Amino acid sequence: MGIVELQNVRKVYPLGKLQVEAVKGVSFCIEKGDFISIAGPSGSGKTTILNMIGLVDQPTSGEVLLDGKPTSSLKDAELTRLRHETLGFIFQSFNLIPVLNVWENIEFPLLLGKTRVGKDEKKEWIDHLIEEVGLSDWRKHKPNELSGGQRQRVAIARALVTRPQIVLADEPTANLDSATGEQILELMKKINRELETTFIFSTHDARIVDTADHIIRLRDGLVTENRRRDEDATAACASADASSGAAGA
Amino acid sequence: MKTLANIALRNLSRQKRRSILLGSAIAFGVMIVTLINGFAGAFSENVSENFSNLMAGHIFLSGSEKEAGGKELSVIRDDSALTAAVKASGAPVKYITRRSAFTGTLIFEGKKIRTNVDGADLEQETFLRERLLLKKGSWDAMTEAGALILSEKIAAKLNVEVGDRILVQMQTVTGQNNVGEFTLAGISYDAGIFGQMMSYANLAYVNELLGLKPGEYQTMGLMLDGLKHTEKSASDIYAGLSESVQLFTRGEKDENGAQTPFQALLKQQKKESWEGVRYRLFTINEVLSQVQQIVAALDTTAAVILVVLFVIIMVGITNTFRMVMFERIGEIGTMRALGVQRGGVRSMFLLEAVFLALGGAVVGILLALVAMSIISLINFGMNSPAFILMKNGHLSFYLPPLKAIGNILVIAALTLVAVASPAGKAAKLTPAEALRTSK
Repeated sequence: MGIVELQNVRKVYPLGKLQVEAVKGVSFCIEKGDFISIAGPSGSGKTTILNMIGLVDQPTSGEVLLDGKPTSSLKDAELTRLRHETLGFIFQSFNLIPVLNVWENIEFPLLLGKTRVGKDEKKEWIDHLIEEVGLSDWRKHKPNELSGGQRQRVAIARALVTRPQIVLADEPTANLDSATGEQILELMKKINRELETTFIFSTHDARIVDTADHIIRLRDGLVTENRRRDEDATAACASADASSGAAGA
Repeated sequence: MKTLANIALRNLSRQKRRSILLGSAIAFGVMIVTLINGFAGAFSENVSENFSNLMAGHIFLSGSEKEAGGKELSVIRDDSALTAAVKASGAPVKYITRRSAFTGTLIFEGKKIRTNVDGADLEQETFLRERLLLKKGSWDAMTEAGALILSEKIAAKLNVEVGDRILVQMQTVTGQNNVGEFTLAGISYDAGIFGQMMSYANLAYVNELLGLKPGEYQTMGLMLDGLKHTEKSASDIYAGLSESVQLFTRGEKDENGAQTPFQALLKQQKKESWEGVRYRLFTINEVLSQVQQIVAALDTTAAVILVVLFVIIMVGITNTFRMVMFERIGEIGTMRALGVQRGGVRSMFLLEAVFLALGGAVVGILLALVAMSIISLINFGMNSPAFILMKNGHLSFYLPPLKAIGNILVIAALTLVAVASPAGKAAKLTPAEALRTSK
């Protein structure tokens, strides 16, 4: 059993009178500690799948299991709590809160939910993350005073501050130049190694895809490839992948 | 919640011009309403104090004497029991006045006007000179026995000038017709609707016209050390008097369909069967209880203005926050993704609106206080037509703290209602929907 498991997940969006099937019955499994890339061209369903894994969207049918637990029957408040406790998010457009400075943006998720972290412990942890992402001199700056790369570093620190099991990154380098994009990926990989946090990121950039240990390729809402760098990914989560429409599995 | 409150507060500074505009609209509305409330707050006290001065007392005692034939005379022949009871009560009496009065017809060169004439001991009532400014004539001329002071309006209606002789037709206390002659000694500045109450003559001459003997009079006025002592002192004096003299029951407003407690007292007096001498005690508050109705009307007006202004402002607030919601839809999605519950999103919008309303309301109240201070510095003079509403010729204001707090709460509540819909919509958005829309 993986940390994330999709079982025959479908997602249909209403578009006026039409129904658009963005994801057409996808199944796969992600292991804890994976650095996984969900790749594919625009409109292939990457963001929709990421949203469903991130519990910000619900599948039309099928099931998303987080740490073995089904999520389709959870209510909004429970989904929100689970998101807060289990997941971290990195967005393509950084999505920092403009009125908060770097330190406060990173602190923000710690102030939500019922669990409270001690003041000293919190400060030490946020300072550590700021140092890790190389923004020690920028902690009091507001997002509009930072470059794109710096903003994404803040977003990475914010995604990690609750020590989530999984970090979801939707095209994290799409709004960055290639050098900064590589730095961001390096940073994500370093954290993946050091903290054993599962990183799931979507991209359509072939160069970035190659940095992943586990690659899932999508086309038109279907999995066309699901492989680890060194092995066939189906072996890990047989039950999920057995029913997958993955052509490459 | 603290974090969301912090964000809500900071969000106000994101679109400074918009926040200032909305806040100013709220502040303006609150300022107007606060000014009306402040005026209404002081209105009652000012009118009562000014009338106390014109009527020469906060508490009044008048006597009624039953003749053998059942006829009732309005007279106080011996006030020793009254003064003793006043002294024993410990009421903070500054001075005691003694007056008689009649309502009669003044006639001059074929012109007639019916008016009330107060007979006062003008040597004793020196304060009357300070309160009643003369436009023409002189107080010194009031030493003449038949001297009379009329208000500007009555003098104009009769077309009289200082020095003119005016005939008066009236009735004595026993109900006999009588005729007298006054010499106009002075014309006081017009006091608007209260002008007819302000005709003054010497007590001795009014007593003569009424058929009263020297030393007798009709009403004793007790001027206290401030209006605030009125009701307690009245109760104490009434209690003391009830042991030594016959008293009419003090009136209740709702008895006999009377409009005021004073009217109720008079109605009660007619109903009761009695003999000898009876006294009635009444206060300036009872005589002027309709002033309270004016205050209530002013407060109602203020409330209506508050509601009307805020309905208009609310439309603006609703539209603005609807716009704000669309502007921040990405942030809503981010926050929801990070773990903010629906209630949190709603609270954040509501808090932002409440901060805006509170800020605007506080500024509005401060502006109103500044305006009140400035307006109250202007001296309109004691000859102003509206002097009865003023305090020593100045418009004065009193804002009851609870009223100010009440206004702030009403505004906060109305703002919450105005923002409820956009805040609700923001809260209902699914994170995915919000994140998708912002892309």
